[in-house]
Amino acid sequence: MIDRMNSRDVSRRALIQSAAFVPLAALVSSAQQTSPAALTPAQMKTLVAFIDRLIPRDELGPGAVEAGAQIYIDRVLAGPNAGEKDSFIQGLEAVDAYAKRVHGAAIAELSAEKRDQLLAELAGGSTPESQFFNRARRLTLEGMFGDPYYGGNKDFAGWDLIRYPGPRPAVAAEDQGLNVDVKPYRVSAYGVKYGH
Amino acid sequence: MATSLKPVDVAIIGLGAAGGVAVLPLARAGLKVAGLEAGTWMDPHRDFHADEVYNNVRRLVSSSPKAQQECPTVRATSSQQARSAGVHPMMNAIGGTSIHYWAQSWRLKPWDFHTRSESIRRYGPSSIPAGTTLEDWPLTYDELEPYYDIIEQEVGVSGKAGNIQGRIDPAGNVFEGPRQREYPMPPLRGAGFTDRMMETARKMGWKPFRPPAAINSQPYRGRAACVFHGYCSAGGCHVGAKNSTATTTIPDAVRTKNLTIFDKAHVTRIITDSNGRVTGVNYIRNRQEYFQPAKIVLVAGYTYENSRLLLLSKSKAYPNGLSNNHGQVGRHYFGHWSSNVSALLPYDINVWYGLPAQGVTVDEWADDTFDHAGLGFIGGASLHVYTERHPIEAAAMNTYGRAPVFGSAWKKFVHDNAGRVASTYLQTNTLPYETSYLDLDPEVRDPLGDPVCRITAGGVRENEQRALQHAQNKMEEWFRAAGAIEVTKPPNNGPGISTHAYGGTRMGDNPDTNVVDRWGFSHEAPNLGVLGASVMGSSGARNPTLTLQALAWRTAEHLVKNWKSLAG
Repeated sequence: MIDRMNSRDVSRRALIQSAAFVPLAALVSSAQQTSPAALTPAQMKTLVAFIDRLIPRDELGPGAVEAGAQIYIDRVLAGPNAGEKDSFIQGLEAVDAYAKRVHGAAIAELSAEKRDQLLAELAGGSTPESQFFNRARRLTLEGMFGDPYYGGNKDFAGWDLIRYPGPRPAVAAEDQGLNVDVKPYRVSAYGVKYGH
Repeated sequence: MATSLKPVDVAIIGLGAAGGVAVLPLARAGLKVAGLEAGTWMDPHRDFHADEVYNNVRRLVSSSPKAQQECPTVRATSSQQARSAGVHPMMNAIGGTSIHYWAQSWRLKPWDFHTRSESIRRYGPSSIPAGTTLEDWPLTYDELEPYYDIIEQEVGVSGKAGNIQGRIDPAGNVFEGPRQREYPMPPLRGAGFTDRMMETARKMGWKPFRPPAAINSQPYRGRAACVFHGYCSAGGCHVGAKNSTATTTIPDAVRTKNLTIFDKAHVTRIITDSNGRVTGVNYIRNRQEYFQPAKIVLVAGYTYENSRLLLLSKSKAYPNGLSNNHGQVGRHYFGHWSSNVSALLPYDINVWYGLPAQGVTVDEWADDTFDHAGLGFIGGASLHVYTERHPIEAAAMNTYGRAPVFGSAWKKFVHDNAGRVASTYLQTNTLPYETSYLDLDPEVRDPLGDPVCRITAGGVRENEQRALQHAQNKMEEWFRAAGAIEVTKPPNNGPGISTHAYGGTRMGDNPDTNVVDRWGFSHEAPNLGVLGASVMGSSGARNPTLTLQALAWRTAEHLVKNWKSLAG
């Protein structure tokens, strides 16, 4: 039977809606507890406020922050993507400066509505701030939809959102049918200890 | 000074898709072979994972560090400054690119071997595109057929024959050249979506089929069958169902005890004597320089590296590079023109699992299958629809202007549609041109101080552009007939650096226009052979690997049969 979360699953939706009222401040403080590797706590707070509106928590489930995309981003900037750490932080600070200039406060101090407005201004543009938007969005997608081994996609929130049933050791022919809801296999490629 | 090693009969430079098959007939014939490979063995358990970040974001299987430090530079035309081509899946490993490739294992069509003369015969001399250096191949499909058959059996290819000795079977590709027998394994199973696309194509009057792949559709010679887990592209197979040379012909050759593999051996030069014969190979391993004497040297690197190594190997007999006294090394290079037409379907196509070789192909609009009169181009493209979609790639989907790129509306959009996007692979019959070539970059060097390969792509080709546009329109028709609500056709400006790279050491009878003869041996240095797509003078409308493997086996067999005359 299908046990995935999806938009037609009313009871699950109600559960998640209740989760949607977790205040941002609570998320930020939980993010701070992960002791960032590449970003300072202040930078992490700004990033969290930014990606929290890129992929917000809502009736379809957890957002980027609850899925831990910021953990993924912080880790890759400290490790395999260390070469872009400085330019990423410059971009983050440029967007924060933009927020102060145009919207009167740092990103982390803006309301959800103001942050949405900020993102809409950056999406699709070609300014340095828009380039940061594109890069931050790309890394957020990697964190939220990549294997939870890397720190994001907690509880397989990303895979559930797009209805990806997860890597599994072998795939039967019936799991490749048209319009088939395949039962999710919620296991990281690196074992059961990741993703929770 | 280089330490001189014990002489061998044959030194092969590179144990990838080409060198990895050529070692087998040589070793079976009792020749002592040194396999010089810049990489080493990959371990399926340690190195291969069902992980998009690992395979596709970080490219940890397909981009070995040494190859990246030797990455070619690229420019459109000779008046421009070339820039580093960036990440490229040129590979250093035992098995080479056959470890991470899609394993689509095609025979070319009989027409591909004489495209020039057949086009002139059917459409007149003006049908030949201006500026092309296309020649008929020095061999026919019928001459290569026995070697296609050997590779299909030895490596292991799954598929369905459409033409066995003239008997046509519509379950296979009815447009293929005659084969002596069926594939050794049945084709990979279809998926719901590829079956839907097959049915749609049939309704359109086309003749779709499940394409051949060097993937085990059932256990084969002690190796496992494919498990369809969805991490084949740019990844290695953890169950060994992808028939790279690392799991097939190379271990078979090692078992003869006549192949010695020298891994982590970075070949720097091929050495020649004053008579113009090659005497062996210099390589560096663990910072030590060695000279491996050999009676025969076979160059079997990636297309870019084959030309580069010859151009670097200057000597008194070859002041402009080995086998380049006619100025042909690097010439007739081209990258494969290809395109991904993608579509959004109004139903869940469920292509998360599977592999790119699990698909359905249409050949109606490739090669010379259709009448080109009045179309303004020769050739065409094969259309291939396939499975395997990864979650990051899926979430990063085009929103087609139907949703913003962030926020709850975006979440709703990807929730509904991330599982509804189909990708395709269209491959064009691509030709060589005067303005497209490889040489040594005058500025960019590798860590040893040697120039990297420079690609001059040559700019836009009207013939290939029209052929691909024609095929894209056919692909759109096919998608629309299957119910697609959005179809995206990217612009066609041709490849810079390519995963299907051809030429540079072209095979042909005329030494003024070709580096190697019809058997793959140098027109100038009689004991030097070249293996790989670098000998191919045109691409066909399909992946090159099976053809370059059949040619490599044929070159090796020719060497065995003519050992005394070639080895001196």
